[in-house]
Amino acid sequence: MANLSLKHIYKVYPNGAKAVNDFNMQIEDKEFIVFVGPSGCGKSTTLRMIAGLEEITAGELKIGGTVVNGMEPKDRDIAMVFQNYALYPHMTIFENIAFGLRMRRIPDIKRDKNGNPVLDKNGNEIQIMRKYNKQELSAKVNEAAEILGITEYLKRKPKEMSGGQRQRVALGRAIVRQPKVMLLDEPLSNLDAKLRTQMRSEIVKLHKKLQTTFIYVTHDQVEAMTMGTRIVVMKDGFVKQIDTPKNLYKYPANKFVAGFIGTPQMNFFEGTLKKQGDKVVIDFKYSDAQVTVPYSMLMKTTPQYLDGSKTVYIGFRAEDVTLDEEKVAHSTAKIPVRISHTEELGTETLVYGDINMEGDGFAETSTRVIIKSAGFKEYQTDKVCEAALDINAIHLFDIDTEESILPRIPEYNYLDCKAANGNITFLGNKLALPPAIGCPDGSGELLIPVSAVRFDGPIKANVISCENINGSILVSLDINGGRLYALSDKVLDSGEINIGLDFKKLIIKIGADEIQPMPEINGLNGKFVMEKSSERVDGKIKNVPRYYLLINGTKLEAPAEVYEKMFAATSGRKVYNSAFRYEWTPYDFTLSESGIEAQVSETLDYGNEKFVKCTVGQETLYVKCGGQVNGTVYLVPDAGKVSVIESDRQIRIV
Amino acid sequence: MKFKAKCKSFFVKLKNKFVNFIKQLPFKFKSKFAGAKEIITQGNGKVMSSFAVMGLGQLLYKQWAKGALFLLLQAGFILYFVLSGAADLFGLFTLGQVQGDAWYGIEGDNSVVMMLMGILAVIMIIFYAVIYTANIKDVYRTQCCADTLKPAAGFKKEVSSLLDKNFHKTALTLPVIGVCVFSILPIVFMILIAFTNYGGANIPPALVDWVGFENFGRIFSLGEFAPTFFKIFGWNLLWALLSTAINYFGGLGLALLLNKKCVKGKAIWRAFPILAYAIPGFITLLGFKFMFSYGGPINYYIQAAGGEAVGFLSVNSKWMARFIGLGVNAWISIPSTMLLATGILSNINTDLYEAARVDGASSWKQFIKITLPYVLFATTPVLITQFINNFNHFGIFYFLRDASIRSEGYFLANNTDLLINWLYRMSIDNNYYSIGAAISLVIFIITSLISLTVYVLSPSYKQEETFR
Amino acid sequence: MNKAKAKVAKAKTKKVLNVAITYCILIVVAFIFFFPCLWLILASFSKSGSIYSFDGFFPSEYGFDAFKSLFTDTVMYNYPKWFLNTLFIAVMSCLFGTLLTILTAYCMSRFRFKSRKAMMKATLLLGMFPSFMGTIAVYLIMTQFNLINQQWGLILIYSAQAPMGYMVQKGFFDTIPYSIDEAARIDGASNFTVFVKFILPLSKPMLVYTALTSFTWPWSDFILPKMLLIDKDLYTVAVGLMSLGETEFARFAAGSIFIAIPIIVLYFCLVKYMINGMAAGAVKE
Repeated sequence: MANLSLKHIYKVYPNGAKAVNDFNMQIEDKEFIVFVGPSGCGKSTTLRMIAGLEEITAGELKIGGTVVNGMEPKDRDIAMVFQNYALYPHMTIFENIAFGLRMRRIPDIKRDKNGNPVLDKNGNEIQIMRKYNKQELSAKVNEAAEILGITEYLKRKPKEMSGGQRQRVALGRAIVRQPKVMLLDEPLSNLDAKLRTQMRSEIVKLHKKLQTTFIYVTHDQVEAMTMGTRIVVMKDGFVKQIDTPKNLYKYPANKFVAGFIGTPQMNFFEGTLKKQGDKVVIDFKYSDAQVTVPYSMLMKTTPQYLDGSKTVYIGFRAEDVTLDEEKVAHSTAKIPVRISHTEELGTETLVYGDINMEGDGFAETSTRVIIKSAGFKEYQTDKVCEAALDINAIHLFDIDTEESILPRIPEYNYLDCKAANGNITFLGNKLALPPAIGCPDGSGELLIPVSAVRFDGPIKANVISCENINGSILVSLDINGGRLYALSDKVLDSGEINIGLDFKKLIIKIGADEIQPMPEINGLNGKFVMEKSSERVDGKIKNVPRYYLLINGTKLEAPAEVYEKMFAATSGRKVYNSAFRYEWTPYDFTLSESGIEAQVSETLDYGNEKFVKCTVGQETLYVKCGGQVNGTVYLVPDAGKVSVIESDRQIRIV
Repeated sequence: MKFKAKCKSFFVKLKNKFVNFIKQLPFKFKSKFAGAKEIITQGNGKVMSSFAVMGLGQLLYKQWAKGALFLLLQAGFILYFVLSGAADLFGLFTLGQVQGDAWYGIEGDNSVVMMLMGILAVIMIIFYAVIYTANIKDVYRTQCCADTLKPAAGFKKEVSSLLDKNFHKTALTLPVIGVCVFSILPIVFMILIAFTNYGGANIPPALVDWVGFENFGRIFSLGEFAPTFFKIFGWNLLWALLSTAINYFGGLGLALLLNKKCVKGKAIWRAFPILAYAIPGFITLLGFKFMFSYGGPINYYIQAAGGEAVGFLSVNSKWMARFIGLGVNAWISIPSTMLLATGILSNINTDLYEAARVDGASSWKQFIKITLPYVLFATTPVLITQFINNFNHFGIFYFLRDASIRSEGYFLANNTDLLINWLYRMSIDNNYYSIGAAISLVIFIITSLISLTVYVLSPSYKQEETFR
Repeated sequence: MNKAKAKVAKAKTKKVLNVAITYCILIVVAFIFFFPCLWLILASFSKSGSIYSFDGFFPSEYGFDAFKSLFTDTVMYNYPKWFLNTLFIAVMSCLFGTLLTILTAYCMSRFRFKSRKAMMKATLLLGMFPSFMGTIAVYLIMTQFNLINQQWGLILIYSAQAPMGYMVQKGFFDTIPYSIDEAARIDGASNFTVFVKFILPLSKPMLVYTALTSFTWPWSDFILPKMLLIDKDLYTVAVGLMSLGETEFARFAAGSIFIAIPIIVLYFCLVKYMINGMAAGAVKE
């Protein structure tokens, strides 16, 4: 009964291959988490790292608040169910389940033969660790066996049992330990289809009964969708999306998740988007199909996709398109489909077709479409029908990155603007630009990140709605008819509020000039050293080791949390021999008499905040400062706020 | 045509492998030395002290038990070297300088024993080097833990880890020592003997000396050994090929025969070959020797029928004796290959045969296309071992033919002797130890080359996935 | 219609012919393998000792003399003593050899340590040397340690050289799924516990195979005992029987039969394990 915390977990093999890349997740108690993905995506490796069967190369794993990185599996209070059951073939079922208990010691006080406590010299009870006695063992085993319905098989051996029964025994062996976390590694893969569905509901039932955190690995997305409270979709060692089944289905963050979740697979096409007034025309490639949708649907999209030049992936599910004549008649989004063949499932028919009139609809191409239709409906081959799309269920992805271009939380607001005389005008509001932003006169584009919107300032706006998306609150604002999105930490009531901007995050494009935002990360390369100094400890003079970050010849004392993590992530004395990259935000520095030497190149005045741009060797840093600074300064970063990346293996340690 | 292409591609592959191996050598050395470099440059004073005195570093780190252990080991080694090791090593190179003489009561140096003890001293030095490195690595590891604030394992924990993470160290100690002393030591000894003149008149108490490649020269070109060597080598090769083939296919054939559906009472039919297998080899060999001897049963029947007693295994029957040898060897070895083949055949997927039947393949075709490839694939390592064992089959001709038989044109051998029989005669019966050792070395080089080649070429090495 | 019938008939005769030929070959093969054994058994019951008094393959007179003299005439040939010697050596080297081999194979199979590949290659290489090569050296080593003419010398050598043949056992251990080890580790077992409580019980066929092969080897090995044992009373059966001449053929046959029988019985009881053992090690996993 515990929560888990995985921070920056990496698994890197000695030959450099990265099986798991920067896995971050917080798992709450009693959740049913599913790791899903194709073979080789790193899901089993992550599970085994949680179990302790694989070493964690870097990162921090906490179970129930305790860091367990180096701990043996038996000390982590976890239990694991293996894909091939891993039952001990030569032992009876009873022994199989009891084995783990036999290895355990429980705290108790010393007792004599009759069970009366034995006292020591002072009359106190003596604490000892003892094994389970026979009755306790049987009681626990029988309890577990009853939950799983295998009590009558306790005297049998594994080879006398069927696959489903063996899997239950494996589950029994796991639950009898009353672990904090239950780990299951593709437990149902070796069972036949019918048994699989049955065991699926049994495991869900088990989860409800035991109220323990479950982590389940599978490659079957149906299992993931039906069993998990939250699903982690992985590919090639990277986490593609972590979300509830509903959100994964409705709001896939990239093409991989969109295609992975849901049967039959989502239909993908290529096409272009062109904004025409308050509508956007979606033009399908290799086909005459064209769909028009209102611009309001695509407001969160980056404008560069809407000029008709960039090809995007268009996706919609088989269940979001229909050949039903009535719906088609009333629909505004129709595409012609040439029917190829059908698959009859009883409850429904899958109609295969092609939006390209020359296509054959068999192979998966960028014009093949699968449509779900009512059961037992007949369709003529090669007939061209019209299909209606549900425009609310259209997904769009960038053709190169495959990320969704309709993010639930957009990154930027794209607004037209005009700059003149140090003022910028957008959405009918004129704002004075701080001196740091030297913007030429002219008209162009203003990009406001959603996190750059302040909830106090000179601009008047109307709150239209607030959406809670996985804990973040996206506020939709209306300013003089134009839309602005902002991130807030609390829900706002509808109505008028005042808005301001964080100028250092803005991007302004006027003509060929582009004003960049101020970087939020300052990175410096350096090393790690230890020095011993003689100090007085407890009245004696000892050589006390102290640990420093060495940057450009300057030593910065490292606090315990930092160096402990660095020691944990490296082996031997590699920490003293490796190159690291230390990163801070601009707010983490103080200017002082001594420290890292930096040359000031310019001061940036953003109105309420002033920053200084300086160079340290080859790197450029931005540091918050009080007033005007010139010449050489000495920076003292806050070592407690550092972010450390090991340069060789590119692993984030802190 | 295909065969030529195969040969060509084989040599190209071999060349590539060799080139790659050479290319990788610098990297391998670099990585090994990188570790050493790190220790030398970054080791602190305690580590450095362990270079001088094993265990000192551990003691300075307050690891009393481990430090004492290493110290003791070093003391032990130093004692050994002082008492005998250094002298033994020196003796290895000189092979004795003082000739013993019973007349004068001088106890001379026993060259052979000196060589043996010298090799032992080398092995001890290697052991010492291993433990010394382990000692250094251990201190450095403790230093790393201290420098990165990781708790170093206590002695109790380290001992218990010997049963857990380091169980292999505990479990392999005895076997490794045993193999070193009783397998490696003898072989190294014999290799070195091949470069001395031990044998004939040069046996202790006379002194033995190093003679370099002289023995090999004598085998291959000079003197009485060369013609004999090549004649025997030729027969040996032929024998190994024929006997391996006969045994292998005989056993396979028998296994297939017994596997047939129409055969009832398989266990009974199988019992007869197993009977032959179970009887210890030398018994059956001596038995067959008696069977084919002048006074034996076969000659009895021939004489009873009016013919002359045939000397099957006598001095004059070269090919007859060879043929009988092949037959007897088959009698002895086919049961074991039959058992092996039975085991492997039971693993073949019967679906393959059914599919072939549906496709209309005859039994012979099925055998060639399904059974044979699978069995060959599965048993190539065993085939190689059997080839080598047959090549070095000592007992067959040792027992079958009289030890006193010598053939014309052969030096101390007869015309059915294998290299190993000739070896035995030379070494044990006639004291030509050094020549014998040289021949052993040659046998080894030949057999290892052949087996490595076949192994690398074999399908089981190349296509491990096909049959899984 | 007739053509089809003819075809069926042809197939039938083919089948019958097939079965007949199969059984013929089997009978011939069985006879070939059995006959020499039969000859030896008969010879051991021959009244006179020498081979010359035989009627071809069959003794002229039958009697238990050979057996009697085998056990009673111990002046020149002390057969009972040889038998006990060999038994002792075989049992001891079986125990030690099996233990060492199994431990080695387990370590090679389950642990991935740095020198593992090197050790495997070295073993392979060492195995290619003619076995006879080191015998002289072994003789000298034994002389140094004063183990000549001692049974423990033989036992030591057999046990020490046993682990070289670990490949078959290792192949077997490789087939035991590693997930059992992992499940046991999660349950709290150390590697030693895993070995004793899980691997060993699951390896019964392999243990039997190893014990059997290491037990039977001393009975048939003659080079080593011949070299190391000088006293006639310390001979093993193999060396002893070899010293019998043609005149004592019956005795030789009797002695052979006597040791062959237990070995044959053992083999028959455990032939199942043998097949498993050889196939498991031979098939490349």
